[in-house]
Amino acid sequence: MNGSGRRVWIVLAVSVAILWTLLPIYWMLRIAFISPADAVAFPAPLFPANPHFAALHNIFGFPYTDAQERHFLPAGQAPQIINGLKNSLIVAGAVMVATLVIIVPLAYAYSRFDFKGKTALLASILFSVAVPPVSTLIPIYILFIKLGLTGTRSGLVLINLTITVPFVAWMLIGYFRNLPPVEPLARLDGYSRVGTLIHVVIPMARSGIAVAAIVSFLFAWNEFVFATQLVNGTPAATLPTAVSGFLFLQPQPGLLSASLLISIFPAALVAWFLQRHIGTMNIVDPVR
Amino acid sequence: MLPSGRELSNRQFAALLSLPVVLFLVLVMAYPMGYAVWLSLQEVSFFGGFRTEFVGVRNYVEVLYSEEFWRSVVITVRFVVLSVVFSITIGLGLALLLDRVTAWRAALSTVIILPWSVSLYGAGVMWQYLSRGQTGVATSALNRVMGRDSPETAIEYSLISSRHIVDLLALGNAWNLAPLVAFFLLASLQTIPSRLHDLATLDRLSAWDRFVHVTLPPLRYSLFVFTTITLILSMKLLDFIYVMSAGGPGDASATLSFRLFELAFRQSNYGYSAAMSFYLLILIVGCALALLLFWGRKLDDDR
Repeated sequence: MNGSGRRVWIVLAVSVAILWTLLPIYWMLRIAFISPADAVAFPAPLFPANPHFAALHNIFGFPYTDAQERHFLPAGQAPQIINGLKNSLIVAGAVMVATLVIIVPLAYAYSRFDFKGKTALLASILFSVAVPPVSTLIPIYILFIKLGLTGTRSGLVLINLTITVPFVAWMLIGYFRNLPPVEPLARLDGYSRVGTLIHVVIPMARSGIAVAAIVSFLFAWNEFVFATQLVNGTPAATLPTAVSGFLFLQPQPGLLSASLLISIFPAALVAWFLQRHIGTMNIVDPVR
Repeated sequence: MLPSGRELSNRQFAALLSLPVVLFLVLVMAYPMGYAVWLSLQEVSFFGGFRTEFVGVRNYVEVLYSEEFWRSVVITVRFVVLSVVFSITIGLGLALLLDRVTAWRAALSTVIILPWSVSLYGAGVMWQYLSRGQTGVATSALNRVMGRDSPETAIEYSLISSRHIVDLLALGNAWNLAPLVAFFLLASLQTIPSRLHDLATLDRLSAWDRFVHVTLPPLRYSLFVFTTITLILSMKLLDFIYVMSAGGPGDASATLSFRLFELAFRQSNYGYSAAMSFYLLILIVGCALALLLFWGRKLDDDR
């Protein structure tokens, strides 16, 4: 194939890929910028002709007056959205830290030492990836009621760890195996075992650890099923459950769209960061 | 090595490092699983407080005789097979594309990985709004193309129908999963020496032959791993289905995962749903093992 013919095909393929990726996002998020009159128009407009910012103000509790002097009152759920944003940040941050504290030592041990029960431990971690959340949801729910953990952020952190720990273990074990064996050198420099891990290995593995941190943050930030069961309607409600109020209880497409926009914003930052680093991770082959 | 009382042996050190994860597995996996096994052998009632009565394997037998269970199994199989096929082909397509693009690569990669970082409930909302009849993209685009812009003449076209809702869900699920597949396949693609492609050109291989004999072989192991991953994730999937179709219309898209959620949380049928959840677990583990035996083993033999 000659050069320009190939170029046309690639441009075409890129356009299809971008359309496929962005259409669902665009179709939902455009509603945040459509006036209520346009939002109920039939057929629905493909593009927001006159951008309209009422929804974005209302979800944060601000009133809005548009060019036609129409007034839009703050959303009744604005306090829940703001509180949910705060809770989500706290929970996701805590999950990120806890996941790393649990997994980084394990991944390191796996990459360097042979020990009894190594295979069994890895098998049980992989098995816990396969356990569907619906199997453990009820037992955990009952346990949480007994322990008084429903409606608390710490309970939610614990639950999120059941998702992040197996997944991140899987990611990081493969990654640590690819690191060069620096222990003898570190020993010559006088580092103890723990010192080697903290001062030599962890700095060396920082890009893999950063991806793991971000992935665990993202999982917790996006988690919805456990949150609706355990904290919905309590002061510990996270952003996804607060947003779902606009979906199920009283459908308000504009406000729903605007609050989804907020919840996607960190995800977009993450996407940019991930695409730079994810290729260096060895998720495919953690055992070998 | 210096003989020091403070230095640990390899084994002790490794045990110390894996302690947090062992504790964690016991606390949040073994205990709930054990509790679920116990629940599945009980008849749970709520009249006059939480009461249980041991009924042996009755719940397990009841599940096998239930028509809705088997209907859900069929829906699950259809959903999972389509999800895996869509995710892998779309992911492979995106990987091949990213491998060829040179300009604006970082920007394109960011766009392509975006669906994976969008939450599953967010994706559910998006796909629901996209496919709706009245406000969906199909109605909008169709009428734009045909030049109809008044409600009187407009045609309504919904993508949601009980016949194809499972296919649509699988497509939406693939939208979310394909970027992950694409990025790891891309990493494997870049290990292929460009010399091989040059040789293939010298041999005048057709584009298809080159794809099959040069591009595909190094990807086999990654393809196997991601078939397994997308299979497991699709079987477990709940949030996306819960938000996008809520198992409907009717129960046309009630996969096992969704049915279990309904049984446990809407109908508080704890014992019965716990028993059913073990059939789902068996299905997941069984499929993963079957893949390993029939595909993974073969890959090892070929090495």
